[in-house]
Amino acid sequence: MKHKFLAITMVALLTATIFSGCGSSASTGTETADSGASEGKQTDGKNLPELTTEPMTITLWDIATEEPGRPTQEAAVARFMKDYPNITVEQVHQQNDNYKQQLVVAMSSGQCPDMYVSWGGGPMAEYYKSGFADDITDMYNKYDHPDFIDAAIAQGSYDGKILGIPFGSLSGCDIFYNKTIFKDLGLEVPETIDDLEAVCAKLKENGITPFALANAPKWTGSMYYMYLVARHSGNEEFDAAYTQEGSFGSEAFLFASDKIQDWVKKGYFPDGVNSLSPDDGQDKQLLYDGSCAMMLHGSWLAGSMSADNEDWYKENIGVFRFPEDAEAKAKGVPQDVEIGTAIGNCFNFYSNGDQAKLDAMYVLATQYYNDDTYNQMQMDTFQTPSIKGYDKQVTDPNMKIITEVFFNASNVQLWYDQYLPASVTEVHKNSMSALFGLEKNGKEIGADQDKAMKEAIAEQ
Amino acid sequence: MRNDSNVSLAAVKRKKTTIAAGVFLLPSFLLIAIYFIYPIIDTFVISTYKWNGISSARVFVGLDNWKTLIHDVFFWDAFKHNVTIMVFSILLQIPIGMLLATFLDAAGRKFNAFKVIWFLPYLMSSVAIAFLFTYALATNGGIISSMASIIKGSKVTIDLLGRSPHALFAVIGVMAWQYTPFYMVYFIAGYGNIDTTIYEAAIIDGATRSQYVRLIAIPLLGPIFKTACTMSLIGSLKYFDLIWNLTQGGPVNSTELMATYMYKLSFQQFNMGYGSCVAAGMFILITIIALLFQKVFVVKEDY
Repeated sequence: MKHKFLAITMVALLTATIFSGCGSSASTGTETADSGASEGKQTDGKNLPELTTEPMTITLWDIATEEPGRPTQEAAVARFMKDYPNITVEQVHQQNDNYKQQLVVAMSSGQCPDMYVSWGGGPMAEYYKSGFADDITDMYNKYDHPDFIDAAIAQGSYDGKILGIPFGSLSGCDIFYNKTIFKDLGLEVPETIDDLEAVCAKLKENGITPFALANAPKWTGSMYYMYLVARHSGNEEFDAAYTQEGSFGSEAFLFASDKIQDWVKKGYFPDGVNSLSPDDGQDKQLLYDGSCAMMLHGSWLAGSMSADNEDWYKENIGVFRFPEDAEAKAKGVPQDVEIGTAIGNCFNFYSNGDQAKLDAMYVLATQYYNDDTYNQMQMDTFQTPSIKGYDKQVTDPNMKIITEVFFNASNVQLWYDQYLPASVTEVHKNSMSALFGLEKNGKEIGADQDKAMKEAIAEQ
Repeated sequence: MRNDSNVSLAAVKRKKTTIAAGVFLLPSFLLIAIYFIYPIIDTFVISTYKWNGISSARVFVGLDNWKTLIHDVFFWDAFKHNVTIMVFSILLQIPIGMLLATFLDAAGRKFNAFKVIWFLPYLMSSVAIAFLFTYALATNGGIISSMASIIKGSKVTIDLLGRSPHALFAVIGVMAWQYTPFYMVYFIAGYGNIDTTIYEAAIIDGATRSQYVRLIAIPLLGPIFKTACTMSLIGSLKYFDLIWNLTQGGPVNSTELMATYMYKLSFQQFNMGYGSCVAAGMFILITIIALLFQKVFVVKEDY
């Protein structure tokens, strides 16, 4: 009997494992109530390709599984399908965590979606080189499109070719701080890195850990590293290291590593920094309970903190841009290179030579995503579209500062972990935990990253 | 009844049985062929290519990937972690599972509730367990850090997942928590299979309960031990899901296993050719170790 029980249990478990494989939900653009019974399309009178009247199906993969992204994006598709009833858009919402892997599997097995989300950078270049991302430069120059900021188009481009239409929002990266703590301790917003260190010392004296950082996913710690490099050398040394004419062990990189390790030793980051995870909000919590006073993070933090507790957020949270490096500034290094992403996401297209389909997808991406309704829905949820003019409409004071810093940047450096080739990203991320865990110094992680970069260049 | 041929009835029956067996086995054979045999062969084929996993163009590089693999420090480090996990899994999970089973077998029906409670961890998915333990082991408000803080009276941070080598041992602990119940049930089933007459005979001959367990039950459970150890061994060597969700192989590769390394190469670094080579290498290593174990660990099957 017991044998049988065991056998049945095992069979049941095995079956359950098999069926619990992939989970993704497909929805065919839910109907939204549109009060204006106006005839005609919202694209009438614009310089756009004439779309087919034949039935057509477009498969679209995105990562909008949650609010507010999901309703915003589903509504855009619904508006498109209302104007072009012959075209069916199959919107498949994938889980963000597995998305890149799912996409690779789909591409290699001949199931590549017609239109899919990417983050630009290294992975998008791989898709293009493998023939799964269309070059839309000519269409973009010929037809109407929203007035995207230059950095946004640059990020959706590879090798001078436009491959992606942005539809997300810009994400700056700045220091969020607790205004109340600063006021109580008589601290000023720091202008230079030296000031910042003085602020940290004062906070530490008062038993407050200066920075809330959760470095388990490693890209969070990378923000500190990227900014210190950018302040010390602008884009110059990173660009040189990228082509390996320079090195990840050059002066600015060593400066950044030494500063970070010095700060770790002085206790400026929380204990166990490498095991804290931002997915569980463990960094925010340290800010909420007052054990930390500052947090360098992407601008999406504003929206998420406001969603957690709007009153507390308004009362306590302020923002300042990463302080300047006075010494480097004196030498003429630009201090307005900012870290972040100009697009969040973009759409890439795989028409497989079907121009009619590409036309339809171009219209969908430029005219229904990115239309006024869409952008307003974005703005309502603390997101600034990467389209010229929207910086003027931001109302939240913190988002205003973030957007201003971003629009005034002489250059926006995309997160290293999105910009670098995929194999180097892995090494870079590991370097970040080694750096914050004091397991390797600046020279050593520089050498590791150089080695990976050299190998990546050799493979191209 | 007409009987045209001179084929015996037994032969007809044999033939029919063969056909029936074939028909019944065909579906499962097809599934195994599609989902196990073909992928294994294809993995070995892909391991001889340089391929990013997407492009239709793949370059044949012969044994280059294999040469890299033999000198790949990361792979052998990962293998060492797998072996560490294997040793500790066998040392922790099987004895504890055995003890719990012995207790439940001796205690009888009134402790049936424990059987269910102790089995619960095994019923949870690894992803859920990983989430549970990221919270429990967190330095910021996790159970262990909080308890230590209460005992000491001031804030104590015990960082188990963010440091090396602590992270690997934390993961071994979590795995033991997850899999011990499986071996417990396995041994309960083993005890159930021992004929009650043997127990009765032993008691009549004046054996105590502990003598019965030590001298009769455990030797009888020999084959069960062997199977349990083999399962634990193979499971530890190809382990993936919990680690992936708990540490992603971090911090700095200190919990990197062969399977997580393979996954990162294949799907995150667009290096499917080499990733497949790692997978094939894993296949070979696991097979060798499992076979060696079967040879070395000889249990007398009959009494």
